[in-house]
Amino acid sequence: MRRMLQGTALALGLAALTGPAAAQEITVVVANMSGYLDPARDHSNVGSQFYFNLFDPLIHRDYAKLEPEWLPGLAVSWQQTSPTTMELTLREGVQFHTGATMTADDVIFSLNRMFQADFPPYQVRQRDRLANFDRAEKIDDRTIRVHTKRPETLFETLLNLQQLFIVPEAYVKSLAGDPNALEHDDYEAFGQKPVGTGPYRLAEFVPGQMVVYERFEGFWGVPAPLAKATVRHVPEVASRLTALRTGEAHIATNIPPDQLAAIEADPGLKAESAQTALFHMMIMNVNHPKMQDARIRRALTLAIDRDLLNEALWLGKAEIPASHTLREFGPLYMPELKTFRYDPEEAKRLLAEAGYDGFEIVYDHFPNYYTNEVLAAQAIMEMWAAVGINGRLNQQPAWTGGKPEMMVRTWSNPMYFADPAGQFGVMWAPGGPAQSEGRFNTDEAYAAAWERFRFSADLADRKAAYAELMARIEADPPFLPLWRPYESWAMRQGVNWKPQPGHIPYVLDFRAGAITLDAMN
Amino acid sequence: MLSRSLTVLARMTVTFLVIVTLVFFATRMTGNPVDFVVGEGLTSEDRALLIRYFELDGSWWAQYRAFLRGFIDGNFGLSFIERRPVAEIVAARIWPSLQLLLSAMALTLVVALPLGILAAIRRDHWTGSAAMAVAFLGYAVPNFVLAVFLILVFAYWLNWLPVVGNATALHFILPTVTLAAGLIAALTRFTRNAMLDVLGQDYMRTARAKGLPERRVILHHGLRNAGITILSVIGLQVAGLAAAGSVVVESIFAWPGIGDLLVRSAIRRDYPVLQFGVIAVAAAVIVINAAVDLAYAWADPRLRRGTLA
Repeated sequence: MRRMLQGTALALGLAALTGPAAAQEITVVVANMSGYLDPARDHSNVGSQFYFNLFDPLIHRDYAKLEPEWLPGLAVSWQQTSPTTMELTLREGVQFHTGATMTADDVIFSLNRMFQADFPPYQVRQRDRLANFDRAEKIDDRTIRVHTKRPETLFETLLNLQQLFIVPEAYVKSLAGDPNALEHDDYEAFGQKPVGTGPYRLAEFVPGQMVVYERFEGFWGVPAPLAKATVRHVPEVASRLTALRTGEAHIATNIPPDQLAAIEADPGLKAESAQTALFHMMIMNVNHPKMQDARIRRALTLAIDRDLLNEALWLGKAEIPASHTLREFGPLYMPELKTFRYDPEEAKRLLAEAGYDGFEIVYDHFPNYYTNEVLAAQAIMEMWAAVGINGRLNQQPAWTGGKPEMMVRTWSNPMYFADPAGQFGVMWAPGGPAQSEGRFNTDEAYAAAWERFRFSADLADRKAAYAELMARIEADPPFLPLWRPYESWAMRQGVNWKPQPGHIPYVLDFRAGAITLDAMN
Repeated sequence: MLSRSLTVLARMTVTFLVIVTLVFFATRMTGNPVDFVVGEGLTSEDRALLIRYFELDGSWWAQYRAFLRGFIDGNFGLSFIERRPVAEIVAARIWPSLQLLLSAMALTLVVALPLGILAAIRRDHWTGSAAMAVAFLGYAVPNFVLAVFLILVFAYWLNWLPVVGNATALHFILPTVTLAAGLIAALTRFTRNAMLDVLGQDYMRTARAKGLPERRVILHHGLRNAGITILSVIGLQVAGLAAAGSVVVESIFAWPGIGDLLVRSAIRRDYPVLQFGVIAVAAAVIVINAAVDLAYAWADPRLRRGTLA
């Protein structure tokens, strides 16, 4: 008890002493916290919050802009010297958080550990987004070349990925076993003690609980605006909001739409919101014996009034996509495609035509893993019933997307990078996850269109091929994108932060330009 | 005393083995970890690759043997998610939970014993009824409701107390009160009933007749004899709390304890962590029970001399 009291006195004293310095320190309370921090193996929405402060890619972009505008990162310049080759000049004098200077060998190591992955978690990422890369090659101490297997039009986009952030070779090797050899255990250990070149270094990491960033004085770019940022896991939304009120925290993540009014009403708080670059999905098993008739699946999508759901569940603030497309895709954003619509009469007609006899259609969903998931599922059952579909909800914590008996279920398709290849292209490629799980089929014509969409050097051709793919999806739908969810972050007045439109979803960017603190905070 | 200790030890060992086996198979019956850990949106090739990587490709029997081997060589495996030894993960969570448990127990004893005695000796007076009313209130209000109420009043409105984590002594106040409320309610009632049982006994009348001061009669002759009942209730409560009772409280106050860890591991099917965590908790419960068993002997001379066993 005496120790407790001493602790209190100490804490109060410290709070009083650190008043002025606290202007450069913040605490962030997050709904989800990572168990490891390795940007190369991770592609989760939880992990994406944390990497950008610690690491740099070779090529940055202006993250304040939606349209891609490439900026020098750890490479100061780059030039595509052939359809399959990119030559990059490296920045000089870049320091890792360990104090070591970044060399061309570090860069080659970072890239080739992914391009030629033999560590299973890296192999998975290599195959789903880096498959076209062949190798990276050192030309001299400042110059490297990256080779692809086939002509690549997305060099900058892909070299900007978190999977290709640059890490120190000698440090990685030193982590486990033989300090000079590369072992899989080195990669495992790196996830607990990550080191990069970013404006913040990782001062402390308690897996599942806490991430502490500290300004890295040796950073090559504009210094970090915060001296320290502590990110804590607080699973309950009520506790996160209370922590903001008490001043324990400055920013809180994952604020559901129904809390926004309370935040607006509080003079000490404010909220920043954005439509996140991912879709909540309804996916359908085209190979289920009772679902093979495309007319049944078309009816399932046509019966759903997504605009009404948006009004009711998201206060109208989510976005209802007409096709599998996002405005982040720049020239490849194709809202003119009307792949999905609401037409209950057409749904009824198709059901009658297909001879639907009222058999039960099971809708699997997680116990509210996605915001509004359960409410949406319940409403969808009613909308189905209105056109005569006999739906049944099946709450199921496990992923059922690979089970042959799965009929319909919830899913999400995040934007892994800002191109349709980084969203639709990852999940619905020929031989990709959806087909491989047995719930989606492709044929030669689909594969040919997909090849043109992914690899054609002609933008118009890419768009035409994508339109072709979407026409296929419309005629024989394996999914319905429900919406781009509307995500909110709450913060204290005096904290100036908002999600940057140039990032993948959920990034907590605390770099210069992304956050400032007013003196009163 | 020695044979009693040996019996207790043997019982502990058997219980532990049964728990270990149950934990292993029960966790696996809740679903294939492959469907949770490996992730969605993978090709079948990558899925197979990761199943091998997480060492989930063996039969249950092979996995069970590997699991039992852990008790011999001390290698209980790596977390599916954090990829570090589970013993390390669980060890970091035990002390915060224990701290919360101890502070809740301390508060309970300090409040419930006097309140229970008061309710017994003043049972016809309004103070006795008031004590029982408080106890019933604590019993009727679920801890998550109380937690939210306390947060609302003391953090959200008054802004007096923090709610996130266990950094300072101030952080202990709300979770301790939340956790202790139910315990205080239960222990007050049991103390009252146990005291009522002994207050009417002959030896109490004798003690008073000897001219002992009332204070000594109540505390020495009364409470000491009611002690066995009270002790067993405390033992059960502590064991129950250690087993999982603080899960909700830990989650609400973002307390980095073992309850929070177990729930998250269960949701994500991080079996190595879940198994080891449950076993650690089971070991704690067994040790607490054994300690209570031995404490009986201390409290009851008849047990010590083996006349009642």
